Amino acid sequence: MVRPRLILVALAALLVVGVAALGLERFPPPEFETDYVRPTTTAPNPPQGLWEYVDAGVLAVTLVLATVLILRTRNRKLIFALMLFCLAYFGFFRNGCVCPIGAVQNVTLTIFDPGYAIPLAVLVFFALPLVFTLFFGRVFCGAVCPLGAIQDAVLIHPVRVPRWLESGLRLIAYLYLGAGVLFAAMGAMFVICRYDPFVGFFRLSGNWEMLVVGACLLLIGMFVGRPYCRFLCPYGVILRQLSRLSRWRVTITPTDCIQCHLCEDACPFGAIRKPTEPWPNKEYQVARRRLAFLLVLLPVLIGAGGWAGYELRQWLAMVHPEVRLAQRIYLEENALVEGTIDASDAFRALGRSSDELYAAATQLRDRFGIGGALLGAFVGCVIGGKLLSLSVKRRRTDYEPDPASCLACGRCYRYCPKEHERLKRGREGLVRH
Amino acid sequence: MTQRQGKMDSGVIITVLICTALLVAIGAVLLVDATGRRGSGLSRVYELDAVRLASFDPNLILYHEVGPPIATGFERSRALALGANGRFYIAGDKAVHVLRDKGTLEQVIRLASEPHCVAVSAEGRLYVGLRDHVAVFDEAGQRIVSWEPLGERSFLSSIVVARDDVFVADAGHAVVLRYDKTGQLIRRIGEKDPDRDIPGFIVPSPYFDLAVAPDGLLRVVNPGRTRIEAYTFRGDLEFFWGQNSIRIEGFCGCCNPANFAMLPDGRYVTAEKGLIRVKIYDADGVFEGVVAGPDELVVGGAARVFLSVEDAEASGFDVAVDPDGRIFVLDTIENTVRLFVEREKG
Ligand code: SF4
Repeated sequence: MVRPRLILVALAALLVVGVAALGLERFPPPEFETDYVRPTTTAPNPPQGLWEYVDAGVLAVTLVLATVLILRTRNRKLIFALMLFCLAYFGFFRNGCVCPIGAVQNVTLTIFDPGYAIPLAVLVFFALPLVFTLFFGRVFCGAVCPLGAIQDAVLIHPVRVPRWLESGLRLIAYLYLGAGVLFAAMGAMFVICRYDPFVGFFRLSGNWEMLVVGACLLLIGMFVGRPYCRFLCPYGVILRQLSRLSRWRVTITPTDCIQCHLCEDACPFGAIRKPTEPWPNKEYQVARRRLAFLLVLLPVLIGAGGWAGYELRQWLAMVHPEVRLAQRIYLEENALVEGTIDASDAFRALGRSSDELYAAATQLRDRFGIGGALLGAFVGCVIGGKLLSLSVKRRRTDYEPDPASCLACGRCYRYCPKEHERLKRGREGLVRH
Repeated sequence: MTQRQGKMDSGVIITVLICTALLVAIGAVLLVDATGRRGSGLSRVYELDAVRLASFDPNLILYHEVGPPIATGFERSRALALGANGRFYIAGDKAVHVLRDKGTLEQVIRLASEPHCVAVSAEGRLYVGLRDHVAVFDEAGQRIVSWEPLGERSFLSSIVVARDDVFVADAGHAVVLRYDKTGQLIRRIGEKDPDRDIPGFIVPSPYFDLAVAPDGLLRVVNPGRTRIEAYTFRGDLEFFWGQNSIRIEGFCGCCNPANFAMLPDGRYVTAEKGLIRVKIYDADGVFEGVVAGPDELVVGGAARVFLSVEDAEASGFDVAVDPDGRIFVLDTIENTVRLFVEREKG
């Protein structure tokens, strides 16, 4: 049963945060004509660089703490407390920047633009959660990520999302990652940062469209656990793959699974997988044929995706400001639009020739052709891979979290009778001592 | 039964809420102006309306232009100095042109590199500031000597000759150098020194002018602080004046005035770049009036100068004053010298 009062309170809280954020967007107009007194010139404070190192240090410490709390202490309350601290620190105090999710783009730009030097702190933010995930599963998602935390905090009445829908929606995250990498590689835009739905809340400022998106995601997140993490997060795509390889990760039971079924519905993110039955022979034969068909289909999907991506190059290239400017100049020079815009005025004032601009834009469009083809091929590969994975039956004897989907939140622990036994033993041990 | 009913209701509410939120979110994402084509969305209050800001009361104009502008013969003229017998010395391109009153070219002194500033001594010697050193020429235009170069970062922007000294403003190092007439460096003036209450010069662009005033003190523009500072020849800061303001009474922008000259009675003639205006201040730095505003000085008036960085940088007009108080303005956009004289009172 949903408690309507709870929903109303949560909605009101959302509204308050949203209104505060909108309210702070405007600032007083500059006083060009009044008695504005120029502040005296002072040397800027140096601490921004220092803060980056403090942030990296806090990240390292919180990751270690998260690992201990999630894998050893197995205490949801402490995990939740750490999560709230990270939300307050990385989110509201440090304004959601640097964040590993956006750092994907910095790393990409470093690879493709020799003129761009990635700050050390950004590199640490990108790499550290990956390293921890590789060893301990998604502990970063569970307790450290401020974007995950803000959603986790509003989850009051989780509803189950059907597996087919979950798998389908997750493709958006792959597409988003591909687009983020492509646009960053081309130097066009940091799309992941531009469309960050929660940074506006953290900074109490931002454009109203993204504040609305953030508010809607939080509203959805009251019922569908962590929608951004599960269906949109591009960094989560990388973490999913690394988490599969992790050696020490979340287990529902601290010892052995007695198949009591009690944890079956415990996960608000649909990450718990049931033990599997062996396939009947007939079904097995069908699955084998399907697998063979899908193996043949995979290169077709990759090829089709690549072709579609290449065909979209014109459209993709329009994200690049240089290409947009070239189009605008072309329209102005051929009297297809009236008037000029700031960008075209600035272009003319700089004295660059339009032929030079067109040549640069054409070159960019060609590069977007290659990038678009790779992006399309990647999406085709993901779809093909997903179809393949559905027709492969994994053998599972116990109830266990799916290593890729488990967000290491620690909610399921208390559903396991063995966990209660462990806690009881711990308490008795304490008493005996 | 009641509970079942309740459960169904909540399911419907949740589904409706989720679907609505999803549609609103998709709509909002589509509305995001990711390419900035809609501009900042701020009201007109934030607009930099150059024409409006450049306007001032026309009654403040105390001077008027006399005669046609004199062509300098340069593609890029840089600096102007007045010599005895009504000669103009104009530095530009890779030469110094010596012109007579009406603009007759009397002499061309060729240089190996671009001159930035020029000054003439009472004896008729010409001191030309190149990027990193001073070159001295005799009256016939023959090079006498080149002084020691000042290093990679130096950018000499102004030079002035006093009775026994030569002062050179180095914009690159943000310092004034006092030399004797043989080129021996005597002193560095204006470097930051909290013990002597000297704040140091802030020179954001290659405009850093100086002059020797009739009271015997050196006047130097501190462009980043938009003021003029008075120093003794020993380098003590005596006083300063100047206020940052877009209003006609102040100096606008990041670094102004670009150039200035002293009238025989100790008043100042200042030339601002960016928003080009030439103005008069009394000996205490109180605004007196305008020699010429953007509309008088530039084709297209105020709107023109804001269009590009190049325009703004090229708009550092130089000014010089003759013993009769006539003001000569070197128009570095049109590469001409223009003469302004005081209007008849009443
Ligand atoms: S820890 Fe348990 S409840 Fe939390 S995401 Fe993983 S499986 Fe789900």
